[in-house]
Order: sequence, then C-alpha cells, then structure tokens
Amino acid sequence: MERTFFTPKEARYPNNQSNGHYQLEMQSTNQPQSSHTSTSRSSDSGEPCGDGKWASKLLRECARAITEKDSAKIHHLLWMLNELASPYGDCDQKLASYFLQALFCKATESGQRCFKTLTSVAEKSHSFDSARKLILKFQEVSPWTTFGHVASNGAILEALEGESKLHIIDISDTLCTQWPTLLEALATRNDETPHLKLTVVVTASIVRSVMKEISQRMEKFARLMGVPFEFNVISGLNSLGELTKEALGVLEDEAIAVNCIGALRKIEVEERGDVVRMLRSLHPRVVTVVEEEADFSSFKNDFVKCFEECLRFYTLYFEMLEESFVPTSNERLMLERECSRSMVRVLACEDEKGHDGDCERRERGSQWSERLKEAFSPVGFSDDCVDDVKALLKRYRTGWSHVLTQGDDSSGIYLTWKDEAVVWASAWKP
Amino acid sequence: MADGAISHGFTQNQIAGSNPPPCCYFFPSSFMMANPEAEVIALSPKTLMATNRFLCEICGKGFQRDQNLQLHRRGHNLPWKLKQRTSKEVRKRVYVCPEKSCVHNHPSRALGDLTGIKKHFCRKHGEKKWKCEKCAKRYAVQSDCKAHSKTCGTREYKCDCGTIFSRRDSFITHRAFCDALAEETARVNAASNINNAAAAGNNVNYHVMGASLVPSMPPHLASIFKPVQGNHRIIDSTRPEHTLWMNQEVYTDPIISCSNPPPSDYQLSWVLGNKDASSDAEELASVTGVGSQLVSVPSLFSTQTLNVSHHTPSANMSATALLQKAAQIGATSSDPSFLGSFGVKCSSNQVQDGNKYCGLYGTSSISTGLGSDVESSVNDLSTLNQLQMYPSKRRHIQNEDCTTTGGQTRDFLGVG
Repeated sequence: MERTFFTPKEARYPNNQSNGHYQLEMQSTNQPQSSHTSTSRSSDSGEPCGDGKWASKLLRECARAITEKDSAKIHHLLWMLNELASPYGDCDQKLASYFLQALFCKATESGQRCFKTLTSVAEKSHSFDSARKLILKFQEVSPWTTFGHVASNGAILEALEGESKLHIIDISDTLCTQWPTLLEALATRNDETPHLKLTVVVTASIVRSVMKEISQRMEKFARLMGVPFEFNVISGLNSLGELTKEALGVLEDEAIAVNCIGALRKIEVEERGDVVRMLRSLHPRVVTVVEEEADFSSFKNDFVKCFEECLRFYTLYFEMLEESFVPTSNERLMLERECSRSMVRVLACEDEKGHDGDCERRERGSQWSERLKEAFSPVGFSDDCVDDVKALLKRYRTGWSHVLTQGDDSSGIYLTWKDEAVVWASAWKP
Repeated sequence: MADGAISHGFTQNQIAGSNPPPCCYFFPSSFMMANPEAEVIALSPKTLMATNRFLCEICGKGFQRDQNLQLHRRGHNLPWKLKQRTSKEVRKRVYVCPEKSCVHNHPSRALGDLTGIKKHFCRKHGEKKWKCEKCAKRYAVQSDCKAHSKTCGTREYKCDCGTIFSRRDSFITHRAFCDALAEETARVNAASNINNAAAAGNNVNYHVMGASLVPSMPPHLASIFKPVQGNHRIIDSTRPEHTLWMNQEVYTDPIISCSNPPPSDYQLSWVLGNKDASSDAEELASVTGVGSQLVSVPSLFSTQTLNVSHHTPSANMSATALLQKAAQIGATSSDPSFLGSFGVKCSSNQVQDGNKYCGLYGTSSISTGLGSDVESSVNDLSTLNQLQMYPSKRRHIQNEDCTTTGGQTRDFLGVG
C-alpha cells in the first residue's frame, strides 16, 4: 500500500520559486498514481495553460502597486492587463481577465457592488437544468468534487454501520450529487435497509432556488432504490452559526452524520470556532469535512500575500479545468465565472457580519484540523475507503493522485493534481 | 468426516412430515424432494471457511482435497493412497448452513453441493475480503471476485434517456437526476390503475436486470421476473428496484444460474435478440419511439453468460409504457405484459437467427427503433393477431420460476 508522508507545514508558504508555486514534499515508496513527474513550472514551454508567465507577473505587480497606493502604476498595469486579458482565451488571458476585475474592484473600492451584480447575474441565468448539467459534467471530467464525496460516503457508511435510523446533515452546495451513490450503497450493502433522513443546509443563494426540484428527484430516486427516505432543506440562514439542534430536526434516536463540503469556508472567520462547537452539540457519530486546499484567511490583512495565494490556487484550478474539459465547454466557462465571484469576494470585499454564507476564505487542511481538534478527534479513513478513492481516481485522466496524511498536524486525505494538493477530505468524531 | 463436522445422522425422511417452503422447488436443493434418503451434514463455520484442510506433514502445504494431498505426497516419496470409491452406493449428502438465522439452516433447505454451501456461507455470512482492483467492489468469495474482474469496466450502463456511461458511479448519479426518472414516475402514477399488482408503482419501472446482491435472492428474484403478474411473489419491500445496478452481481449467485435448462422449443430469442445485441441496443435506444421510456441496462448483459436477467438488449421500452400502449391499442391479449415483451424488436440481423418469431418483425423492424414497433402496431394489427399465439406459451413460461440463462433466452421482465 502506498503510504506517503506529507508534512503540511512545508506546504503552507510559497517558496521562492519565481512563479510562486510550491511543491509538496513527498517521500513515497511507490510513485503516486499519476504519471506526471514534476512538469517544470517555471519553464517557458508552450504548454496550453503555461505557467502564468506574463499574467502572474503583471497581476502581482498590480497587487503590489495597489498596496503601495501608487496610482500611476496601478493605472498603467490595469490598462496593460485589460489589453491582454480575455475570459475566452488561454489560461493566462483568463486569469488576467478575472483577476483584473478583482484588482480593479479593490483599487476602486467597489468590490461589494461588483460582487452583488455578479451574483445576481448568475442567479438569473441559473436553473435546475443548468445547475445539474454543470455539476454532473464537472464530476464526469474531474474528480475535484467526487473525491470528497467518495471519501465522505465511505466514512459515513462505516460510522453508521448497523444503525437503523440515519440522519445526515448535509451542509454543502453539491445539489445532493453525493447522495445517490450512498443511497445505492445503503440499499445494497446491508441486509436491513435503514431509514435515511437527509437535511440539507444550503449556503449559496444560487442553490436555494433549485432545491425544490432537487428534493423531488432525491425522493423519487430513494423510492427507486427502496430506501425509506425523508428530505428537508434549510435555507435562508444568515450564517451557519444560527443552526441549532431543533432547527435541524435532530431526534434522539437518530444516528447523526454531519457532512460539510466546502461549507466551513463559507463561515466568517471569527465565527468558525462557534460553528464547530455547535456541530459538536449535535452529538454526531461522524463529521466529514471536505475543503479546497488554499489559505485565504491567514493573510487577511496582508493583501499581497493573500493575492499570491489566490493566484497560486486559481492558476492551478484554471489549469485543471482547461485540461479536463473540452475547449469549447460552456460548463467550464461557468465554473470560471464562479471563481471570478470568489476572487472579488476574497480580494475586494470587506468581511462583514450578516453576509449570508458567501465568505470564501479558505483554509488549509492543517488549519481546519486545528479548529476541529477543539471539539473532535480525527477518524482515519479505512483501507476500504482509500481503495474506493483509488478506484475513483483511476477512472479519470492521469494527473490525479491522493496522499494520506500522517502525524499530529492533520489527518485525512488530500487529492493531488500534478503533485499539488488541491482538495482535503477528513472525518471526525466527538 | 473432517474434524469439526457434525453429521446429524438423521435423514430427510425424518423431516418429511414438515412442509417445505413453497419456493423450495426451484432451489438446487429441490432434488431433496427426490432424495429423501439424503444425509444432512452440518459443518461448522470453521470447516466451511477452511480452504486447505489437508496438510502435508513434510512441507506443510495445504490442499483443498485429500486426493490432491495424496498426489502431492508422492513427490516426497511418501506412501500414498488414493481413496477408492466404495463399492456400495454412497449416500447422497446435503449440507446445511451453520448460521442459525439463515434460511439454509433448515435441513429442508440444505444445499446439495459442498462447494455451494461453502460459497453461500462466505457470501452471506462471511467477511468480504476480496476486492476488485478497478472498482473496489468487495466480495467474500474469491471466484466471485475473479468473475467480476473479468467484466469490470467492460460494461456500459445506459440510462433511459439514452446516455451511456462506462462508470457505474456516474451512471447512478446521473440516473438520480435524469429527467427520464421524473417522467417515468409520472407515467407510473398515471398507469397505476393498469398495474394493480402488488408491485408498488415504482416497481414496475424496473430496469432491473440483475438479481440482488444478496444470495437470498430467489423469492425476490422471482418477483423481479414477474413484475406484473398476479401470481408473482411478494416483493421484498426494502429493495425492489435497486437491482438496477445489480448487473454486476448476477453471476455471483449460484441460485440464479437456474438449474432448468431453457426449453429447446422456447423461441424466446426472438424477443431477446441475439448475442451480439449490444449494437442493437444502441441502435434501438437511439431511436426511441416512446421518448424517454427506455428500459436501461439491457445492453449490459449481452456479454454475460450467466445472465439471469433478462433483458433483452432490445427491450428498451419499460413495462409501463408498453402496457399503456397495449391498453391504447386495445390489445385483446389476456396478458398485457406479455404483449409488452414483444415490444422488443428484432433488428434485421436477427432475422438470420432462424427464429421464427423474428420473422414477425423482420421486415418492419429494420430501421425503426424499439418503441416504434408498438407505436406503429396500430397499423400492424396483423402482427398483433399473431401475437395472440403467444399467451399460452407465456403462461407456460410463467410456471417456471427460474429464468433461463444463456445468450439465447434472455428474459425481459417477466417473460420466463
């Protein structure tokens, strides 16, 4: 079995490579499953998505100029970026385009307004069909989201084994795409199919509008699977901290699992401790947490450092999208636009209380682990679960691998794209 | 008897007074009815799970059978002796499952085959130690796992809407959100007065093609194959349709490979298409006369030899839709589902099968898809009339609870 030792600390800060990327330090007995040994990231090869040769340089300079309040320089750089950028071009052009928007908002202090506009535009063009198409297509071409689903489902099934009344609290915007496979597993794995209650807590406003349709589909599907099923949706919360046991409909005789996919980052940074405590108060058997591996919260007050990290992460993400989708994919375009909203939110908006779940300040797995350890202890993923993850990654294009963590710092599994950790999945128990 | 085995010493005769369960007769143990003198053996779990009980005293190598050990001992120049079959008739042995809560614990449900009881015990009560490399599916019996690995990843999953998937998980996820699911449920609700069988509305939508994972299949299995018959068995309410995905489990269940050979005069193949019907399935699926009313999966089994299910690759119309069509057409067939099973069309290359039923559709079926046959049946009353011949045969089929396996006689939802 491959056991790779990953020390998260080393990955926390960018090293001094010119393009600001960093590598995991990995000692592995076997090569990771991906066939890519490190593709040189600072070369000037004509790779499709390049390595941010011109875009990253310009963007970084612009960020610095903004911090220094050098308006001539700011204008000059914004103008240059505007000339070269395009949301329909190659990776560099796209990154330039979307980051340009965020930097412009930062420079002009119009982030809040821009974010609202972008969000409402997205909501208007959003429908059940488009959302479904988007998420399913993404899952088909990339394990970015399915990785977390498989790992979480494995941990949940194991933790709730033998229980007859299950209650899963799903705090995510995955439109319940995680649950069909779990329902199938419940129906087939056990002799006695348990009763499943699924309570979905929706954070993004865009998702709210489609939940009605989603709930119908899920109910039908559960009937098809032969799983006794109950479905509830909770939306309209200003913050996750407002959740209570009663609001969630938690009953005494239920075995609870809390599933947080990309949910914790939606909480305002100061409230995260409270939410962890609130989750603990639900007495769950297991809490599964999946987050993207990036640190947008440590440097809230250091714009340049925060920007560097954003640039690093979204460059990786855009490159991944480019390699996963066909060039003319509309879904990819929509995902990129989603990123642009996050960029504006992180870089150009002040964090204020009362924003309904649109904070995007990610933290790394090791940081989340620190928080979660206050109330929970980590549960390792079983060998079976890791095998499931391996089998999943095999079904996608090369470039994807996984890394198990050891040691006290954090626990869980990382999904890696070209040897860079991108998604972290973990399981916790009280 | 090896250590750990307990021979009850009582024979079937002693329990002859008890009524065997009604579904007993299609189990392999049904021969018990003909073998009342059989000796019932109850081996312990340890013995059943032991793989290499016969050990060589020289090198410690283990063997499953004594004969193998004896032959091995020759290599050590040890005296060896192969046991001769005793001249007197050996009493037939049947084996019960040691698990008390298990259905096969009762002597009347004993299995006749030692390997069979071992596999049953492993599958049902054992730990799943074997795993498929490609998809991480777990099995308790190594041969099951091996059998699965051979076809893992080679099969395709087809949704009602026509989309094909090579990955099971994406198929499942797609299925849950597919419009075909929503539509079908709506149709089922509308058609529920037609299907007033015990099957819940959704049960009819089965795309089920496989047996359930769990070996205690048979009663359930029987129900799957007779979705709309009044005389079908009670459907296990906890898992009526999950068998949608169960194609992979099909060959793991020994019971499913029914002991009844397909009757040679059973010309069901006209319904089912031929062995290489996967191409047919695609072609048919793409020309859906009835929109989204496609039964998924059928094509999956075309490569299976132990295909229990049925589905004829070309049977892309769901039972519900066919029933509706039948009702509309005003078919006089007393057995609407039977008609439904005819919805499948023989594609042109099946004409060469020499299957006499194929000829019915031969000319009209060439380019049209599955659904169109039924749809156009309004114009094709002659075909319908000919179909009237079949009900009797169909009823004959129904009496056999076991579906046939093999490429020739794939079943479609209830056509025995």
